[in-house]
Amino acid sequence: MKPTTFARGFLVATWAGAKHLLRRRMTLMYPHVENYPTQQMYAYDPKKNVAVSGWRGRHYLDMDKCTGCQLCFIACENISEAIEMIPLPETDYPQNKKKIFPSVDYGRCVFCGFCVDACPFYALYMTPNDELSETERNDLYYSPAELSKPPPLFPAPRVNMKLDLKRGAHDER
Amino acid sequence: MSSTNEFAAVFEREEPPEGKLKVSFGPQHPGSGQFRIILTIDGDIVEEAVPDPGFVHRGVEKMCEYKTYIQNIPHIERPVIHDSSGVLFAYALAVERLLGMSEKIPERAQYIRVIMAELNRIVSHEYFLAILGIFLGHSTAFTWCMGDREALIDAAGALTGARVTFSYLVPGGVRTDTPPGFEEKLLKACDYIESRIPVYKQMMFDSPFMKMRMEGVGVIGRQEAIDHGLAGPTLRASGVDSDVRKDEPYSLYDTLDFAVPVRKEGDIMSRLLLHMDEMEQSIGIIRQAVRRMRPGPVKLPLRGQVRGAVGDAYARTEAARGVNSYYIISDGQIHPYRVRINTPSGRNLAIMARLLTGARVADVPILHWSLDYWPLEADR
Repeated sequence: MKPTTFARGFLVATWAGAKHLLRRRMTLMYPHVENYPTQQMYAYDPKKNVAVSGWRGRHYLDMDKCTGCQLCFIACENISEAIEMIPLPETDYPQNKKKIFPSVDYGRCVFCGFCVDACPFYALYMTPNDELSETERNDLYYSPAELSKPPPLFPAPRVNMKLDLKRGAHDER
Repeated sequence: MSSTNEFAAVFEREEPPEGKLKVSFGPQHPGSGQFRIILTIDGDIVEEAVPDPGFVHRGVEKMCEYKTYIQNIPHIERPVIHDSSGVLFAYALAVERLLGMSEKIPERAQYIRVIMAELNRIVSHEYFLAILGIFLGHSTAFTWCMGDREALIDAAGALTGARVTFSYLVPGGVRTDTPPGFEEKLLKACDYIESRIPVYKQMMFDSPFMKMRMEGVGVIGRQEAIDHGLAGPTLRASGVDSDVRKDEPYSLYDTLDFAVPVRKEGDIMSRLLLHMDEMEQSIGIIRQAVRRMRPGPVKLPLRGQVRGAVGDAYARTEAARGVNSYYIISDGQIHPYRVRINTPSGRNLAIMARLLTGARVADVPILHWSLDYWPLEADR
């Protein structure tokens, strides 16, 4: 390699990196701000036979609609075995004669969403909340009562990724 | 070469000859990915290399026989998560051929499938460049490629609802229609990646140090590549024009306008540059598909359990790492009788022992990674 070629290549490579010192960066202070591609709930429309785009995080169970048909349980059976039907004899929902509701073990769930696709009664959704870390493994087990709580509001502001061809990718505040 | 017995025989052989050293490269090496190579080295030169795969064998083929056609989907994509749509494409096509509905797939679904497959190809190639940067000692390449990959993952996440494990291509179409604003987001990400490719070239390929490391190292000749049955970018970098998208067009690839990049040198540098060329072509395909997409249904209604007809079906696609094929035999049950998966990584392993013999120890990680060998996919 000629010395001039060597020097030119070295300068080009260094300059390509040095230019980035002047650019804005996409660095998020994570617990204080969060980035999600979408804030929609993942849902399924059994009439149209197609799902609605949304983030596949923690489930949301509508106990007023769940009939205890176990289709979500059957869908999960060979994928991750996370869903278990548990009896709640004290509940009094007219559509659920068997009085059984799904519970989800998030230590096992792979968030594929095929349980939502299996539900024909608009009872199961997936919410954008995927911050489910716990210190105890047992706490990852969500009972029907916990699943039917509405998804929590996020205290941290959410930012989107902004792509700028000249100034690079950075967060949009 | 690859069996455990042979490995044991090599490892249990008497002490290496006087002055030689035996080194186990992996399986916990941060880059080798649960895979090891037993090297006999003399000073800095590798005298003998014995690849030892099989650490992450999960029995995917056998497990497929116990799951229904839909339950197989999240499970099949797990070994190759950064190319999840690429591998599911072949599976979805094979199941559709088995059910005899491959002619009825809606056009919009086919365009979305092509978009997702090409998007995953770019994501997988970015990952390839990032890890190769780490192996070269070039951390800038790692951070830039991993960071720019987020632009596409962000667009795909809005559509599918997951970052890498999309589980999005299903037999009969795709799972969801595109959300509002998805096309703009995707095209913007494509523009961004396209603007970054020249910067990668300046940073990695103009640099004289990178040239010294990669040019003329690990050369695979054209005939040698054919004899070893290599696949994907590794094969095309050795001057063989072979791409399933052109040779046996599936889905809508025969209507799309794209070129198959081929390079002649066959060294590590040409394999890297070929990945860049393929990213450019994939961006072109995505733009065409987005432009031609028309509103319409995205999925065929599949009522109840999918039950395959008695018979067999075969589908072959070009995934990011090369030819990926599925052969499914059904006996009419709700689960397949047998699923045979053929992955490109398994083919590229064939040349690794030859390529490493005579190489320097410092070149072992980049030679190993430049072959596009992904142990999880090969062991499946």
